Amino acid sequence: MNNGLTVALGRRYRFAASHRLHSEKLSEEENNRVYGKCNNPYGHGHNYVVEISVSGGVDPATGMIVNLTDLDSFVEREMLEAFDHKSLNEDVGAFRGKVPTTENVCVEIYRRLIRFPLAKLERVRVEETSNNAFEYAGEEIQDRAAIR
Amino acid sequence: MVYLTRKIEFSASHLYHNPALSAEENKRIFGKCNNPHGHGHNYTLEVTVAGEPDPVTGMVLDLKQLKEILEREITQRMDHRFLNYEVPELQGQIPTCENIARVIWNLLEPKIIQGRLHKVRLYETPDLFAECYRNGAGCA
Repeated sequence: MNNGLTVALGRRYRFAASHRLHSEKLSEEENNRVYGKCNNPYGHGHNYVVEISVSGGVDPATGMIVNLTDLDSFVEREMLEAFDHKSLNEDVGAFRGKVPTTENVCVEIYRRLIRFPLAKLERVRVEETSNNAFEYAGEEIQDRAAIR
Repeated sequence: MVYLTRKIEFSASHLYHNPALSAEENKRIFGKCNNPHGHGHNYTLEVTVAGEPDPVTGMVLDLKQLKEILEREITQRMDHRFLNYEVPELQGQIPTCENIARVIWNLLEPKIIQGRLHKVRLYETPDLFAECYRNGAGCA
């Protein structure tokens, strides 16, 4: 921060994963009606693009908020290893009992990346296709502790 | 409030090197970006101005004016330049995306007198960008 100005660094990552939208709280017919093709029992996949931004002071010695190699290795470990070439329903614990809509994927990625120790996570944007995008910037401060 | 964004592109070279650090430290921190002869990028700059449309013209500000400001302040200063050596505002700073975005903010903010500068987003590559905005204004 300087003079009330935020400087943020943005980075885009990609992963490919499959999912099926199906809620155990709904009947077969309702699932079909609500989720349409996305309810296909065998699932389907997307090439997801995740855009994140992190803010912080710019270190005068390096000109950086955070070294990209540190950010990339954290995201690789916390997000890409868990999501890339996986079935979101079967392979990611957070989606046992939770429908892996991209809204929920976006919040889950935020929950994982908010732990990054070297800068402040500002926002997560997930593009499911080039026509669908979802963004999450956390809740109000009093709720932020709950998501950590 | 309406937000208006204009995009420009410029191409420039740079290198990352801090003379206060040893050669080994420079190499460790900056990696390939420490190559002494520099390297280049096609930068894309998105400038967002916030304001209320003028009731007579329907414009937040005249895009022609914004285009001229961007041409004069940014393109002429940075396009086809070696940022370390040819942009005085970056002297003494490592020309990272963060620092260039902040220099661009400082250059543009006083020039935009109709509406106000809301956000500057500078892409170094399609997958890497830095942005500047007033604290708390990031989501719009």
